[in-house]
This record gives sequence, C-alpha cells and structure tokens, in this order.
Amino acid sequence: MGRLFVPIGLLAAIVIAIIATDRPSPRADFTFINRGDVATLDVQKASWMQDLRVIRMLFEGLVKNDVLDSDYTILPGVAERWEISEDGLTYTFHLRADAFWNVHGKPVAVTAHDFAYAWRRGILPDTASDYAGQFHLIRGGRAFYDWRTQQLDEIAAMPSGAARSDRARALWAVTELKFNEMVGIRAVDDRTFRVELERPTAYFLDLCAFAVFYPVYPPLVRQYELPDPATGRLDQQPGWTMAETIVCNGPFRLDSWRFKREVRLEKNALYWDRDSIAIDSVSIPSNEDPNAQVLAFKSGAIDWVSDVSTPYRRFIVADKLAYYAEHREQYEELLAQGLDPVEIDRRLPPDPRQNIHTFPAFGTYFLNFNCLPKLVDGRDNPFADPRIRRAFAMSVDKERIATKVRGTGERIANTLIPRNSIAGYESPAGLPYDPDAARKLLAEAGYPGGRGFITVEILFNKDAGHDLIAQAAAKDWQENLGVPVLLAQKEIKVFRNDLKNQNFMISRAGWFGDYGDPTTFLDLNRCDDGNNDRKYCSPRYEELMDRAASETDPAKRMAILADAERLVVEEDLPFIPIFQYVQVYLFDPHKVSGISSHPRQQQDLFRIDMLGDGKGSDIPRGLPPGGGDVKRKPPEQQSAKPAEQSIRSRLRPPDLMICRSANVLLSRAAIGGRA
Amino acid sequence: MIGLITRRLLQLPLIVGVIYTLTLTLAWAVPGNPIDNPEGRRPPAAVVEAMLRQYNLDSFPRFYLSYLDNATGTKWVRDQVTGRAAERAAAAAEVGQAVPIRRVFDLGPSLQYEDWGVNQIIQDALPVSIALGAMAMLIAVIIGVGAGVVGAVRPNSVADISTLAVALIGISLPSFVVGTTLLLVFSVWLGWFPVGQWGLRGAVLPAITLSLPFAAYIARLTRMGMLEHLGADFIRTARAKGLPESRVVLKHALKNAFLPVLSYMGPATAMAMTGSFVVERVFTVPGIGQHFVNAVLNKDLFLIMGVVLVYSTMLILFNLTVDVLYRWVDPRIE
Repeated sequence: MGRLFVPIGLLAAIVIAIIATDRPSPRADFTFINRGDVATLDVQKASWMQDLRVIRMLFEGLVKNDVLDSDYTILPGVAERWEISEDGLTYTFHLRADAFWNVHGKPVAVTAHDFAYAWRRGILPDTASDYAGQFHLIRGGRAFYDWRTQQLDEIAAMPSGAARSDRARALWAVTELKFNEMVGIRAVDDRTFRVELERPTAYFLDLCAFAVFYPVYPPLVRQYELPDPATGRLDQQPGWTMAETIVCNGPFRLDSWRFKREVRLEKNALYWDRDSIAIDSVSIPSNEDPNAQVLAFKSGAIDWVSDVSTPYRRFIVADKLAYYAEHREQYEELLAQGLDPVEIDRRLPPDPRQNIHTFPAFGTYFLNFNCLPKLVDGRDNPFADPRIRRAFAMSVDKERIATKVRGTGERIANTLIPRNSIAGYESPAGLPYDPDAARKLLAEAGYPGGRGFITVEILFNKDAGHDLIAQAAAKDWQENLGVPVLLAQKEIKVFRNDLKNQNFMISRAGWFGDYGDPTTFLDLNRCDDGNNDRKYCSPRYEELMDRAASETDPAKRMAILADAERLVVEEDLPFIPIFQYVQVYLFDPHKVSGISSHPRQQQDLFRIDMLGDGKGSDIPRGLPPGGGDVKRKPPEQQSAKPAEQSIRSRLRPPDLMICRSANVLLSRAAIGGRA
Repeated sequence: MIGLITRRLLQLPLIVGVIYTLTLTLAWAVPGNPIDNPEGRRPPAAVVEAMLRQYNLDSFPRFYLSYLDNATGTKWVRDQVTGRAAERAAAAAEVGQAVPIRRVFDLGPSLQYEDWGVNQIIQDALPVSIALGAMAMLIAVIIGVGAGVVGAVRPNSVADISTLAVALIGISLPSFVVGTTLLLVFSVWLGWFPVGQWGLRGAVLPAITLSLPFAAYIARLTRMGMLEHLGADFIRTARAKGLPESRVVLKHALKNAFLPVLSYMGPATAMAMTGSFVVERVFTVPGIGQHFVNAVLNKDLFLIMGVVLVYSTMLILFNLTVDVLYRWVDPRIE
C-alpha cells in the first residue's frame, strides 16, 4: 500500500520545491499592465510601444516632451540647453554636469560621446533598427548607411578565403573612420554634442525626444558587440539589457526583469531630477489576456490598464457615458471650463465608472487601395483610377462604423493625420460621405450603376474586429455603388505577406505617428517608403513633400504639408481614412495622476504621482485647464524653458475640443507603426 | 527493468529526431516571415535579408542541420575538442569583450523576444508549467479518488449521482469558462486569491481549473474499479474476517482499484504539464504552454523548435519514469 503513495508524494514534492520557493515580490507604488510584454530594452532596436514606454523610464535623451502640456513642449533632458544655427542645420547641445549613468550604484557622467556612440548604433545597418530611417535626416546618415550596406554585401559576395577574411577584418576600422568623416554627429567635448542635418528639420528636437535617440552606456554595450571576422558584420549579442548588467541614466533603474512575469523598476537615486519623481517603484506584471486584465484591475491589484481590448470594451465605455449622462449638468459645466477629462472625473461625484477613460489616440484606421495598374493575378486593376478610389471613399458610411461597429467613442476621420494633434498644422477637410457624388464618379469612370465592375475583395486579418468593419464597408459599396464585394480574412502572417506583395485590392490598415510632425504620417505615401503598401506614387505629391522639406519657414512648410495631405485625402485617395483610434484606459482618477490625455498618447510614467500616498506633491497632474482658442505655435520656436514655465502656458487641450464638438468623450493608442 | 530503461533511452534520439523533422517541416511551411513583426515599422528589405542569412533562415537544409548541431550539443563538443571555444574566449578577452555564454545545448535566440535566448525562456517557464501540472494532478487524484470511492460505496445514491454530474461538468466545460468563473468569484468578488500573480496562492485556482477534467476521469476510473473489486471474493473474505468496513474499502478494495488510476496518471500528468495553454492565459501563469501557441503564430522558429525538443524529450522520459514506477508498485506486471 505504501508504494501507492510514492507517485503522489513525488507530485507533492515537485509542487513544494517549485512553487513554495517562488515568492511574489511586494506591491510596488505603481503597478500597471503594459500593452504587451516587453520584447527588448535595447534602446536602438526597440520599436514596440510597450518597449519604448519602459525605455523612456530607464533612459533619458537630450530632451523630452512635456506630455502633460497641450503643446507637447520640448523640455531639457540630459541637455540643459541647446542652440540652433541660423540656417537651422546645426544643433549644438550642452549637456548638464549632473547627468549620470547609474553604474551599479556608482555615478559616471553622461557624455556627448555616449550619444555619438548610441546614434552610430542607430544608423549602422548591422543594428537593423526599425527606425534607422529617422537617422537619415542627419548629414551623411543615409550615405553612410548605404556605404556600409554595400561593403557588407560585397564581402558576402566574395568567395570565402583569405582575401575575404582580410577584408572583413579590416572593415570595422574603416567604418569608424568613414563614420566620423561622413556623418554630421560630433562630440565636441564631453559636454558638447553637435549634430548637423541634411536640411532644416522643424521636428528634429521632437525626434531627439524619441526613445531610439536615447544614449546607451558604451563601456557596457561595446562588450556585446564584436565585428564578425567572417562577414565583417558587427555581431550584436543580447544580454546587456538584463537587470544584472544594464546601466541606465533615466528616472528609474531596472530592478528585475523576469520573462513573461514581471518587469520591476526602482527610482534611480542618481537621476538629476530625482526630486520630481513621486513614486519609488513600478511593477509591470505580464498579463496578456484582455479579460484577466480587467478582472485584475477590479481586484485592486493593478493601478492602470493601458489598453483595454476585451470584446466587451464598448459596454465598458457605454457605462462611462451613462455616468456622464446622469450628471449631465455638472459635467457640461466642468467641460466648459476646459478641464482635463481626468480632472473632470475627479470633480464629479465618486463612482466606480469614473475609472474608465477614453482618449483619442495619435493614430488612424484606414483602408488601403492597391494603386498598381495590374493586380497580382494579371487582371487590370480598376483602383489604379483615382476617380474610382474617390467613389469608394465617398460611399463608406464612416459614422455608422464609428458608432455602431466600434462604439468606443471613435471620431470619424476624413484625413490621415488626426485633427488637432500637431501644433501649427491645419488639417484639410477631406471627402464627405456622399453616395450620389460617388455614383456619378463611378459612372464617369465607365461603370454606371457598378455594371461590369470586377468582384472587389477586402483583405483583413482576423481578430480585433476588422471583420465587422470590412462587412460594413462591403455593405456600403454593394448598396451605394452596386459592385459585388467579397471578404478575404487571413491569418496575420499571411495578411502581412499579401500586403507586402500587393496581393490585394483593398485591405485594412492603421498607422500611429511617432513624432509631432505631419511627415510621421505623410511619409507613408512617398514612392520609395518601405511601408507604402499601396504603391501609390505621385510626382505631384513627391514634389510637394520635397518642397516642404527644403522650406525653412515653419508656417509655410506646414501649409505645403497640408496641401500634400489635401492631395491624398481629397483627390488621389490611396486609402480611405475611417476613424481615429481611441485608447481605453482603466485607472482610478482619485488615486493615480499624471496619465496624459493628450492625443499624442505618449505616457511618461515618471510623471505619475499616486495621490494621498504622502510621496510627491499629491496634487493632481494633468493637462492644464484651457481658455480661448488653441494657440498654434510652430515647433521650432519652442526653446528650452524650465518645466514650471511651460506648464503655465495656458492652452486649451485639443482633445477637449474634440469632446465638445462631437460629444465624444472617450478612448486606444500607441505610437509607432501599424495597428 | 534495466533492459527496459536501456531500450527506451536508445529509442529516445530516434523519436526526438522524427519529431524534430516533422515539426520543423511544418513550421517552415507556415507562411510569412519570422523576422516580420505583426505590427510595427517594417525594416528595410536589405536588413531583413541580412537577418535571414545570419540566422540561416534562408535555407531549410542549412537551418535543419545547424539547429540540430547547436541544440544537441555536438557543436559544443566539437568546439571543445578542436579548441575553438578557448580560441574565441581568448580573442574576446583581448578586445575587452564579455565572453558570450556558449551553452552545451544551445537552442538559439528568440526572434520575437530579442533580448532573450530560448534556453533562458524555457528555463524560466518550464518549472512553472511542471509545478502547475503536478499540483493539478495532485488535486485531481484527491478529488477524483474521493468522489470515486463515495460513488462506489453507495452506487446510485444521491452522492453517486451528484459526483457523476460534477464529473460530467468537469469534462465538458471548457477551461476558459471554468477559469474565468473561478477568477471572478474567488479573486474579484471574494478576494481570496490574487489575480495574475504566480506563487503558492496564485497557483491554486489555475491548478483547480486544470485538474477538473482529470479529476472527473479519475473519479469514474476509481468508481468502476471499486465496484468491480467490492464484489470480489477477497473482499468477502476480508469482511468475513470481521474487518471494519472502512478498512475493507480503503485498504483492500482501493489498493486494487487504484492501479488503473496510476497507469492513467502517467500520460495525464504529462498532458497537464504541457496542455495548460488556455489556463495559463486566463490566469496569466508564466508557464511554457503559451509559448507553444504564440511561437507558432509568430513563426519564431527557434522558440518553436526549442520548446518541441525539450517537451518531447521530457515526455519520453516521463513515460519511462511512470512505467518504471508502475512495475515497482505492482510487481505482477512484467
């Protein structure tokens, strides 16, 4: 009989040995669920929003955006001040003396050389940074990238042997020389960093605030980089981003990173602006199930859910709207004062529904047209004709998609760039919903009543409700234009492949902006852009974009860019903008402050203050109350100014105007790329 | 016994090899590019090509052989023998490099989680899945045997029928329904267990959810075995000796009725340890089940193959252990 219990005893031993020794860490000051698990903390390789968010807490760049300001003002970071040359081509940054790397508790000054090293990493094709293109604005960046790529290709093409390995071995030294010679990045001395640009770039400071431009600690990272003697390629080993090894200069340091379990950050005691940090520890547990995320929040274990994506989120949002309806009078009064939406919640009677927040995001959902003259199967592509694209665009009832299909407070979009999200930019009107005009256009293009039109296929990936949107668009086209429509739902990998090979007629798409300039969206339509799945290529558009690039007057430049956008959203329509994405958050406004409701939707979590915990000021942080019209000022006129001063600039937050005009209160966001 | 163990161990590389070949062929056939993110900016074409070349992802035979070479440790052995490992370490030390850790069984990098190696991922996640599976089996045996005995002692009583009903529910309800319900009731409403936190308390609900189908099956197995044995001659003898009924049931009948349960426990434990994907997701358990599914969706070939190799080896060793144990518990089996 005793032997019978052996297997059971074995099982019990396993359980005790593994689980009992696995103690959960204590509750952090601020616990949130990120949009997904962190894939990499390598500053130059990161491209996912969740990665960039954590990197912004661990590292600090030359400058940063004030996410709690309606204008996203540039604030000093490691650079305490900077000068821009008259021609707008040369930026000279002066680094502060008290910016340190936290080398396992020991302070080491952050120098201009660290930036030069990190930016070189970003440019090198070997790093395979998704954002390598952003560095091409720097003088010689593109030329150096191409030179190095060509060298590597030549070596790869050589037969293996002594000649090849000699050349491969010599390449790295040559590369370092070439970089210094070709690229306009210069560490003048330890505390002076100079950058020369290809052409004046109005949003360059905004770009410097983007995480990929942050520094890394060369003595550490260099240990993981070695030129491969066989190919000449710089072999970059992972490993330096682990908690035991990583060296940071940001407001926080990496305390532990357990894969698929938890990322834990502790306040960096050596950070120069440590006194402004109101939380000591941040925990980011891994939780990828949308429903479990909501339940975890309800159980009180989580302070902020950063992307509510359950299928029932529209009902959650409806709850919030019902709450506002119950307090309509008071709500409208607060709204009229131009308060931050989170502040409005704080002033309304307490209710658990206050924890639901919906903010417009810096991204647009749209449908792509394949603009090539022929389809992949060799048939003529009717969508090569802009009149047909316009007709299709004008016959989609976006309002119905936004309210009935999505229902989480999305605003319809007639432009690619979310309205009011970029200071100084005046969006064009775009095309309205007008089925009659659409039918006329289609008849003009040779298909009266849709007769003779080929069966249209809409390509989309499963998940995320794309099927419902495709169904709605298909119904509109069938009813308004009389064309037959088929739906083609595919697995994400197949979908991406089809997009890349232009194996589609119409497909779903989305785009989130990276930095505060229209080009973050408009570059998508350039002929040679790597993300131009539509293969739209217009000489007129190219000309406008080139002209904008060389225009030095910021206001004129913005006007030219608006003309370029007008061309794509009113005449050529390589895509149909459908709606502006929204971001649904869960957090208790009476407990958490410092989450930005700005449409750019970047969250700098070192600005978080837990209210009533005795740390920090415990005065709610948020967008300043508005008054009057949105004052537009072009980005370059912003200068380095102390944080207090910039927060005092009283402007009405653009997203509040959205609330007022469309009576849409709420909302999903990401920066960086496709959705 | 020794013969059995040797035979099985000799079969191991053969079986794993077949599994490796089949899985890699299928995974390779999945459309799409392993380097591509499902979202995010698209890297330049030249970069993608270079990365594919670097990881041997541009040629099936090259990937097939090089991965096998790294994963089985033959490369490591070769490097040690030819002295290349020492050479490389010296070269790295010369330029102030951290000597990269060369593992004996190198399962490669993860293409999706760039900062992590597959070895590290499995090392972190496998113990969790093993513990969760073990705990689930433990619960399943306790509930299942208990319910089975009750049902057999009083067949067709209310207790029997209700355990049958519970068993049916356990088998037929999908675990995401059971899991979500348990989470809602015991964590959110009652607050007895933490949500999304791994640890002894955090493991209870997922283990219960995972155990239910197994518990149900064990209950039926025990009940059947008990009914069969309770009518047997040796039980009548035991009763005639005047043994108390509890001793008759628990010692004499259960001992024999437990054997089929034991043989079921082998594959069931393996299944509980490997098949916990849904439960892991609902309760955000940091186990390995999720990598099975996610890696395939992402076409993260290194991770797929790493997980498959480790799992299949584990399963084979596990079945062997159970067979050995079984013979030891019941020496009648040869």
